Amino acid sequence: MSPAGCSHVNGFKVDNWKQNLRVIYQCFVWSGSAETRKRKAKSCICHMCGAHLNRLHSCLHCVFFGCFSKKHIHEHAKNKRHNLAIDLLHGGIYCFVCQDYIYDKDMEQIAKEEQRKAWKLQGIGEKYSMWEPTKRELELLRHNPKRRKITANCTIGLRGLINLGNTCFMNCIVQALTHTPLLRDFFLSDRHKCEMQSNSCLVCEMSQLFQEFYSGHRSPHIPFRLLHLVWTHARHLAGYEQQDAHEFLIAALDVLHRHCKGDDNGKKANNPNHCNCIIDQIFTGGLQSDVTCQVCHGVSTTIDPFWDISLDLPGSSTPFWPLSPGSDGSVVNGDSHPSGATTLTDCLRRFTRPEHLGSSAKIKCSGCHSYQESTKQLTMKRLPIVACFHLKVRAELLLSVLIFQHPLNVFVCFSAV
Amino acid sequence: MSKESQMRAAINQKLIEMGERERLKELLRAKLIECGWRDQLKALCKEVIKEKGIENVTVEDLVAGVTPKGRALVPDSVKKELLQRIRAFLAQHST
Repeated sequence: MSPAGCSHVNGFKVDNWKQNLRVIYQCFVWSGSAETRKRKAKSCICHMCGAHLNRLHSCLHCVFFGCFSKKHIHEHAKNKRHNLAIDLLHGGIYCFVCQDYIYDKDMEQIAKEEQRKAWKLQGIGEKYSMWEPTKRELELLRHNPKRRKITANCTIGLRGLINLGNTCFMNCIVQALTHTPLLRDFFLSDRHKCEMQSNSCLVCEMSQLFQEFYSGHRSPHIPFRLLHLVWTHARHLAGYEQQDAHEFLIAALDVLHRHCKGDDNGKKANNPNHCNCIIDQIFTGGLQSDVTCQVCHGVSTTIDPFWDISLDLPGSSTPFWPLSPGSDGSVVNGDSHPSGATTLTDCLRRFTRPEHLGSSAKIKCSGCHSYQESTKQLTMKRLPIVACFHLKVRAELLLSVLIFQHPLNVFVCFSAV
Repeated sequence: MSKESQMRAAINQKLIEMGERERLKELLRAKLIECGWRDQLKALCKEVIKEKGIENVTVEDLVAGVTPKGRALVPDSVKKELLQRIRAFLAQHST
């Protein structure tokens, strides 16, 4: 199974073999055009039993198709001494003398090209191919022999963050972001091409942050540059007071989204519907709002992009005694939850229920041409890849924390998807 | 050829002619990667290679060692989805 192929292909590699091989790939393996597809459909059946399944192979030396599973192609190879056959499903080359698939560099190259051509013709797109190092990259690897090994108990990707003065609101969001797999993959594969003129790109700083997290250092990281950049770009979060983590998340996503396009001070149009930056790809969803007129039943629909959903916690939990996961449970979605506990599904159900807008909040109906009472319902038209739910704690609960000095223990159960 | 295998051959021809077979193959590949089937098979193959020794193992060894378990491991949801696609295609292009 060496990459140099076997010696038995040398008998095949004569005259115009490259072109002949290409024709075989185009006609019988990866047929891109309608013509070749028609021919393939008609002719690719076993010459001995007529079946089209059973791992059909084509002889490379003559026009013969035979089943592999039923050994029809093996018989042909023995009788005619034709040693090479090609798998019509995957394009692999089989040598009957070596009794195995062989990987000849030249033939592999042709196979790859023909597949790419056929896929392009059919509009299937590009096949993912693994990284093959170039000469320069091999040189670099030789000159830098240090390798990072992932062992069972290594802590790569994990690092603590120093609190720079009530910055835990920022630290917890940073930890969440650095553990978002899609974001991590984006930054670790160096996908950010900075277009900003100044030195204050938050995306570059995020990239740096990922490098720090994956450096293998175990000491806590001090995110002073990140903090400074956030203060610069989101003035309302500056200062040493305790801030809101949710506000920080939204501000961070907003600045990252703007900086992804090289836009420093919001001059370019901020249109999330047409953005393709990594932040929008991961975090942006579509929230649909349907307002139904109670008189003519006409529905007016708008869809707005969102990065997070703010959920009210339903009032079934009494605000003055903190809930704790109790002993008697209930089963929701196959997971057991403590009885009376709030689940994420409860919150979402509440969020998406139709709401009567009342006589004091009449909407102008375009059907009735007058102000009418209506109901409004929110639904998720498009889910983001990573959904952020902001659980809003009610004022009474906060008040109770202040008065009774008990810890803010609110438990919301959710099933891992 | 039995009636069933005749029908199979006819459907196969239609799928190839319209290029749907390639598209279905790629859909199947993506689904099997998504649900982790490919990783499971990789692990099974590694076992076979360890048994036979990397110098001596052939593709046939792998195919024989892995096929029955591999077929059993395909999730029903994937089978359902492919079947649905094929049915929809046939409904669209029935003669």
